[in-house]
Amino acid sequence: MFGKPWIAALAAASLLAAAEPSAPLGTYRPAERRHWAFVPRAHVPPPYFTDARDRAWAASPIDAFILHRLQKEGLRPSPPADRATLIRRLYFDLWGLPPTPAEVDAFVRDHAPDAYSRLVDRLLASPRYGERWAQHWLDVVRYAETDGFEYDTHRQDAWRYRDYVIRAFNDDKPYDRFVQEQLAGDELAPQGDEALVAAGFNRLGPLRKNAGNQEVASSRNEVLTEMTNAVGAALLGVTLGCARCHDHKFDPIRQSDYYRIQAYFAAVYERDIDKATPEERRTWQAQAEPVEAEIKRLREAMNKAPREERGQWLMKIEAMQDKMPPPLPAIYTVANDPAKRSAIHLLARGEYQQKGARVGMRPLGVLLPDGAPELPDDTPSPRLELARWITHPDHPLTARVMVNRIWHYHFGRGLVSTPNDFGRMGARPSHPELLDYLANEFVRSGFRVKHLHRLILNSNAYRQSSSTRNAAAEEKDPENKWLWKFNRRRLEAEEIRDAMLAVSGSLNLKTGGPSVMVPIEKELVAALYKPAQWQVHKDPREHDRRSIYLLAKRNLRLPFMEVFDAPDFQVSCPRRESSTHAPQALELLNGALSNQQAERFAARLEREAGAHPGRQAVLAFRLAAGRPPTPRELALAKAYLASGSRREFALAMFNLNAFLYLN
Amino acid sequence: MSRHCRLTRNRREFLTDAFCGFGSLAFSAMLAEERARAGAADPLAPKPPHHAAKAKAVIFLFMSGGPSHLETFDPKPLLNKLHGQPRPQEFGEVKYQFVTQDAKLLGTKRSFKPAGKCGLPVSDLLPHTAECIDDIAVIRSCHGDMVVHSAAQYQLFTGRIIPGFPSMGSWLLYGLGTESRSLPGYVVMPDPHGAQEAGQPMYAQGFLPAVYQPTMFRPSGRPVLNLDLPSGVTLEERKKTLALIRGLNEASLTEGDAEFSARLNAYDLAFRMQMEAPEIFDVHHEPAATLEMYGVGKEPTDDYGRRCLLARRLVEKGVRFVCVVSGGGTGDLQWDAHSDIEENHLRMAAQTDQPVAALLKDLKRRGLLDSTLVLWGGEFGRSPESQGAKGRDHHNLGFTMWLAGGGIKGGQAVGATDDIGLRAIEKPYHLRDVHTTILHQLGLEQNALSYMHLGRKERLTEIEGQVIQEIV
Repeated sequence: MFGKPWIAALAAASLLAAAEPSAPLGTYRPAERRHWAFVPRAHVPPPYFTDARDRAWAASPIDAFILHRLQKEGLRPSPPADRATLIRRLYFDLWGLPPTPAEVDAFVRDHAPDAYSRLVDRLLASPRYGERWAQHWLDVVRYAETDGFEYDTHRQDAWRYRDYVIRAFNDDKPYDRFVQEQLAGDELAPQGDEALVAAGFNRLGPLRKNAGNQEVASSRNEVLTEMTNAVGAALLGVTLGCARCHDHKFDPIRQSDYYRIQAYFAAVYERDIDKATPEERRTWQAQAEPVEAEIKRLREAMNKAPREERGQWLMKIEAMQDKMPPPLPAIYTVANDPAKRSAIHLLARGEYQQKGARVGMRPLGVLLPDGAPELPDDTPSPRLELARWITHPDHPLTARVMVNRIWHYHFGRGLVSTPNDFGRMGARPSHPELLDYLANEFVRSGFRVKHLHRLILNSNAYRQSSSTRNAAAEEKDPENKWLWKFNRRRLEAEEIRDAMLAVSGSLNLKTGGPSVMVPIEKELVAALYKPAQWQVHKDPREHDRRSIYLLAKRNLRLPFMEVFDAPDFQVSCPRRESSTHAPQALELLNGALSNQQAERFAARLEREAGAHPGRQAVLAFRLAAGRPPTPRELALAKAYLASGSRREFALAMFNLNAFLYLN
Repeated sequence: MSRHCRLTRNRREFLTDAFCGFGSLAFSAMLAEERARAGAADPLAPKPPHHAAKAKAVIFLFMSGGPSHLETFDPKPLLNKLHGQPRPQEFGEVKYQFVTQDAKLLGTKRSFKPAGKCGLPVSDLLPHTAECIDDIAVIRSCHGDMVVHSAAQYQLFTGRIIPGFPSMGSWLLYGLGTESRSLPGYVVMPDPHGAQEAGQPMYAQGFLPAVYQPTMFRPSGRPVLNLDLPSGVTLEERKKTLALIRGLNEASLTEGDAEFSARLNAYDLAFRMQMEAPEIFDVHHEPAATLEMYGVGKEPTDDYGRRCLLARRLVEKGVRFVCVVSGGGTGDLQWDAHSDIEENHLRMAAQTDQPVAALLKDLKRRGLLDSTLVLWGGEFGRSPESQGAKGRDHHNLGFTMWLAGGGIKGGQAVGATDDIGLRAIEKPYHLRDVHTTILHQLGLEQNALSYMHLGRKERLTEIEGQVIQEIV
């Protein structure tokens, strides 16, 4: 009796499948296939220099490619930055934290030829490194811990994915494995928590849940869209999302390519794996049972009530659901459910009701021979197939895109300045041979990110000064595209906050675990649709943890983060803005965080430098700017401290370019 | 190896393409745009519009939750005749959030009278607004794509049904800068009852730099975050601190450093804001008659009246975009009249009608209405069918918004819904057309006001909108 309609439905579905037209496999013109990012990587030997001085500077292949281009443009590299600048640069770059005065002193005094590369190795080996570099990846994959939209429901255990990313960077997990686990961890290692957590990648997008008449097909389409777009933006570095509604206007990505990628996700559904102990489960049940009973009662009442009163009953049920205890520990992952596989069609204008021809799984056609077939729907482990295609050593995009991201974070600008768009509307590489050299090295090393860090950080190009005055170069290359100097940059929101905590001596370096909600203005909490969601952590020491451990809530960005251009958690962010405006000054001058930290910083100055204004000023600069004050700075600081408040002086330090910028 | 790993193409082809093609052209255009933005020391400095502008500022009176067109500006005698009956089939199918296909039509208890010289009918819910009808262009044929709050609110503010895109206010700030040197250029005044379903991302700047973000005014005390000195710090002391910061930052400043100069300016502006803004925020400098006109000091108009009056004071000082939100928190505290349209709309209208009309009259007598575009409306309207016995559900296929001032030709109604107010059938105007019209009045072209993001030139209108020609 139960099976009958199911068999009938299946038969109807297969009839339908046979009757439905499939989209043609399509052909791609040679010109389309020749786009620089779609062709195999080149192996160009680094340029050779006849001049001995040039040869010395161009000791590494990176430097040879950079110098060659500089000379072609009639430019020269800048001299190296001084050692105090270099160590501060490395600390923020790799840890997102300032060095201590003792660490600066030790490095400045260490004249061994390998002092610098030992420093690089030491920083790369610390857990602080993963906490900094994971943030870059979290930007790219639009990581957040809430659903967004009207309920903005908290995803209690989403932090496990954040910790997974931190671990992956710290352990130097090969990037091919990293991608495979995220796209297809559940298929790759269904018994392993690590890979299951990683596959939560597929659930990172905003999720719309609404009361009332749910449009199931519409919601499903939105979920599939989020998964598909993430593959394009984060992994392939092409604007695949543009082909959702029509063939891509500029790149050889057809609408059928978009939906063929989507087909790999056709059977994907959310799966929460309970990780609670029996004790936790018992406590939870004791709290949940009365609420569940009440919900059941309300549902029964609703079913008896007239249909048009359904809305009101649903609202009552929803209010009761808010009273449920927080969910038990779980792993948020995905699983294939072939029985519930969505049929994937081309959708005119991306609208789920406007179904066109059917498609099956196939990667991007422009990277395949014409006529390459689709995979059958019953292919086992479909996402693993996709992941293996993406991470194949010869894939023209994957390695280039990742090495370009790494270069971008080190230099503040990618060799391709549009890190999520390697298509025709994106930028062309400034140094194509260098990009390919790095990508080749990346693949050769077994997709090791730390190998790339070492290559880049040990180059002379990276060690250049950022404060060179060179009017001719400024005129010729104002954006510093050819890297005739290092790029000064403002610290990012998390770096500013973490550095204030570090400088004031209150940074709590506890790693991992559930995210923390910090105290914020009452009015901001009141402005939430559900203010009860904001539960400030009871232990104040938790409020001093690194920013990566603060809750990433889609509908409430911390004002401090927002004002300093932290991304908005909604879409992939490959490159942060660095804007300058008055609310930043107001935040640093009058905000609760900076004033609280200034108070602690002032106390630290007195504790460690005694009552002497000169010594306090020197210590303040060494902590906040990584260097002693210049005579002019020292005079100004001493004059202020002679009569002004130490707390205001400490606050002033947080407002200095010397603190907020990295040379 | 995967079955799909046969990667074609060779190195010769790579080199052929390496120095020609489209990408480099697009890139240099993008760089020019970037340079233009980076080069200006102050990204908020006033910028010339694309064409002659009629309006300089926008006030959006956001009736959150979706006010009913059937109870306000769009009388439907047939709906009252068919009260209690199912919707006749000839009106077609629709999807609602809650009400089902077998729901019955709900007539309105409101009565409509011709108002002003133009004689447009306005319901007795809005007697004050009716007095201003000759300045108002009523668009009766608005429609949007979404029937749930969050997605519809995103579309209303950002043109997209998903979060992550810049709002109208951020676009205007990006396109035109601000004329105020001591106030934020884009202000949102939320309803003290609580937030909207779409939350903070609806008002935000999306992928635009943080300089274009909205300033959310707090409902209580002093409205702007961080304008007050920290407790225990005197103004004299703070002035000395600012002098120290300036001295130290100048000590390491080299000539021609645009970014560091911009930082010095930002501190000056921050200080001016701190000194001048509280004075502007204090509406009690206004004459008693003005306060009375807005309904300040009496219920239920005090709060919305205060905020409307503040909106006028901000616009007067050169603020570009002000959003004054009516409704917040649970649905019933918004215009979201699921359970009782009468009770809800009488209450919401009583809070807002007088302040809204006062704003229009006040702007007009000060000569500000010519340069200030006022927009009134919600993310959708309400269903002709009843929800429960007395409520109305969300409804996005045909509803009313109005515009006034800023060169808009008032005293007219544009477009029409069908005879039960279900669907916009005559001159339907999508939310994107409302956006396009606003941009047009401010002298901006929807296609020229764009920003390169993830490989696309993004703009406020995803699909190109049209200017509502009847009213400009």
